[in-house]
Amino acid sequence: MKRIIFGILIGTLVFVTACNKDKNKKEDFDKAALLQNFADNIIQPRYADFKTKIDSLEILFTAFQTNPSTDAFEDVKSQWKACYLSFQRVKTFDFGPAMNTGFKGAIGTFPTDTTQISSNITAGTYNLATATNADAVGLAALDYLFFNSNAYSNLTSNATYGQYCSDVIQKMKAETDAVVSAWSSFKSTFTASTGNESTSMFSMLVNDFCQDWEEAKAAKLGIPLGKYSLGIQRPEYIEARYSGYSLPILKASLKSIAEIYSGIGINGQDGVGFDDYLIALKKESLNSVIKDKFREIDSSFYVFNSSLELELTQNPVALEDLFNAISQQVVYIKTDMTASFGILITYQDNDGD
Amino acid sequence: MLIGTSRFILNGWVQKLYIEPTFFFPFLGFEWVKPLPGNWMFLPFILLFVSALFFMLGFFYRIASVVLFLSFTYIELLDKTNYLNHYYFVSLVAFLMLFLPANRYCSLDAHLNLTPKQFLISKWNIGILKFQLGIVYFFAGIAKLNSDWLFDANPLKIWLQAHHHLPLVGKLLQQEWVAFAFSWTGCIYDLFIVVLLFNKFTRPFAYIFVVVFHFVTWYLFPIGVFPWVMIFSTLIFFSPNFHERILQFLTKEKMQTLSQKMIPSFNKKIVSTALILFVSFQILVPFRYLAYDGDLFWHEQGFRFSWRVMLMHKEGYGRFFIVDSRTKREMELPQQQFLTPIQLDQMLTQPDMILQYAQILYKEYNGKTFYVAGLPLKIDKPEIQAEIYVTLNGRPSQLFVRKGKNLVTIKNDLKNRIWLEEFKK
Repeated sequence: MKRIIFGILIGTLVFVTACNKDKNKKEDFDKAALLQNFADNIIQPRYADFKTKIDSLEILFTAFQTNPSTDAFEDVKSQWKACYLSFQRVKTFDFGPAMNTGFKGAIGTFPTDTTQISSNITAGTYNLATATNADAVGLAALDYLFFNSNAYSNLTSNATYGQYCSDVIQKMKAETDAVVSAWSSFKSTFTASTGNESTSMFSMLVNDFCQDWEEAKAAKLGIPLGKYSLGIQRPEYIEARYSGYSLPILKASLKSIAEIYSGIGINGQDGVGFDDYLIALKKESLNSVIKDKFREIDSSFYVFNSSLELELTQNPVALEDLFNAISQQVVYIKTDMTASFGILITYQDNDGD
Repeated sequence: MLIGTSRFILNGWVQKLYIEPTFFFPFLGFEWVKPLPGNWMFLPFILLFVSALFFMLGFFYRIASVVLFLSFTYIELLDKTNYLNHYYFVSLVAFLMLFLPANRYCSLDAHLNLTPKQFLISKWNIGILKFQLGIVYFFAGIAKLNSDWLFDANPLKIWLQAHHHLPLVGKLLQQEWVAFAFSWTGCIYDLFIVVLLFNKFTRPFAYIFVVVFHFVTWYLFPIGVFPWVMIFSTLIFFSPNFHERILQFLTKEKMQTLSQKMIPSFNKKIVSTALILFVSFQILVPFRYLAYDGDLFWHEQGFRFSWRVMLMHKEGYGRFFIVDSRTKREMELPQQQFLTPIQLDQMLTQPDMILQYAQILYKEYNGKTFYVAGLPLKIDKPEIQAEIYVTLNGRPSQLFVRKGKNLVTIKNDLKNRIWLEEFKK
């Protein structure tokens, strides 16, 4: 009995000292505020931006079809690029409405299957919603359809070719509209789901954040660089290969993730983000390591001034460095940051050992 | 048990944990335990369910207890990904129950006269169960006597703050002193609760502690049925009178008073030898970690089967590479190609699983031909390398496994794991 009393006394002593030390401490952090900021200033505005861009693409393409000219075609192509860059800023949020509708896969799957596209156009009838056509739709399909060497003559001479482009755009437009409208009712579910279990929206957000970064590492850069094929480069896997925009797209994707990390809204305002959570957890040094890495990666792009396909042969060492920097950041965000948040990535009970 | 099994089946975990994975991580020495093909894996779970039901009702008790022990232990031996201390506890208790005459009184066996009714049992029968429970608590308490737990309040600090969204208590859980209070209370509780339960006067209070403690853990942490198992099994510490009263209440039958007496059941010598062996095994196994250098939480040699519950928040990130022995060409392997997310998560922080995974990868890739841009590349006796970073209890991540070591040639044994990077506190 005496020992117990002694133990309890020691315990109390520790509480008291711990309390005292804590008097002048950080303010509380609130995951709900983070989710609110994400919904209001990041996710919904970004979707709205993407929707506007896709809508304009449709209008410009219809205008081009009614009145074909090289100028009008240039407008279509630059609008397509704007859509592609904007898409990098929404594809991270692959949960809720986007997950239910398969939005990310439908719009962003690459590389595209040119054989399938050609056979669809030759046949003249096709159902773009089928699994066989999963690689023949989306932004990557338009990359081929708009930027292959015969694109302009095909569009102006072959009606089914133009119809196919139009169908691909219509499909993306419908999918985007579905996600955007579903978000208005999904928002309250999202902001209320602050738990740390794997099914909570906060956990999903963190997991998708990490996964999007890893996809940039592997799919956008690692695979073409030969990192997964015994060092042999695979240019046929380059994203947006026909337009040659893969590096700006990669940069936009990485930058978008960095902004998400800091909770920066579409208007540039710095709201509650993962950085604030880390600071509240007294992990300032981890936060600055992560932020420095984001900056370092973003500024390393200046060495590249041509397409990824050309850089693969001209500048493989710089690409290798970029790949390593992105890989290093995976360790910080996926291990250190996620572990600090106490998020559970298993979807099963365990007793923590 | 019944609830636990139904939960497992209903939640689809049979599918997820034992049918979906292509590969499993058996325990050292139990590599011969293999899963059943496809949906046959439901069989041991059904056996488990039925035997648990029979066991509870005391119907064909002996056979039910054997089936219960074997099916449960079989399932647990399949894959160490799913190792939990409380599963080990269930296996041990099921093992003990094989030898105990728990069907002698309030059971269908006794009602149907399948076994002679017996009101008295030997003292060791109850004693060994108390001992088993006592061991769990006591070693869980000893394991908490480490600097992370006591002086950093980790991992509780990390886990508690994640609940800051809860109403009322949420704000408190973000406070550092609350994490310290939880850590110290938990430690003191584990160390002394058994003493309090043994003492007749403190027992009722102690039991209130037990209920409160496990209720809180059940609420805050995803530990499934374990708190309930502990709450009910701790009742064994109460006197026979107490249990009779519950039985009377439940059955509305008046019955003669039972008393616990030492009566010779069968060969006393065998019983005492077996008991001594079991008890010393139980005491020695958790201390085996003393035989190893370095930090236990880092190398985990001697970590399992030692009642080290909720001690670590360990997360890892790793990249695996194959290096062709002939051409020295290397490539990174896609994450999650062969493992389920849970397996991957567990494997990255547990050294023995890393070595097992390296063997899996070797078998998959050795002799395989890749066609890269039309070029055939045959992989011959590849090296499997890895670069793994691990964060432990809130520390910044550190290198766990350095790239450059061929993991295929490292033996998975009980020796010091010198192939790991050294842990920096």
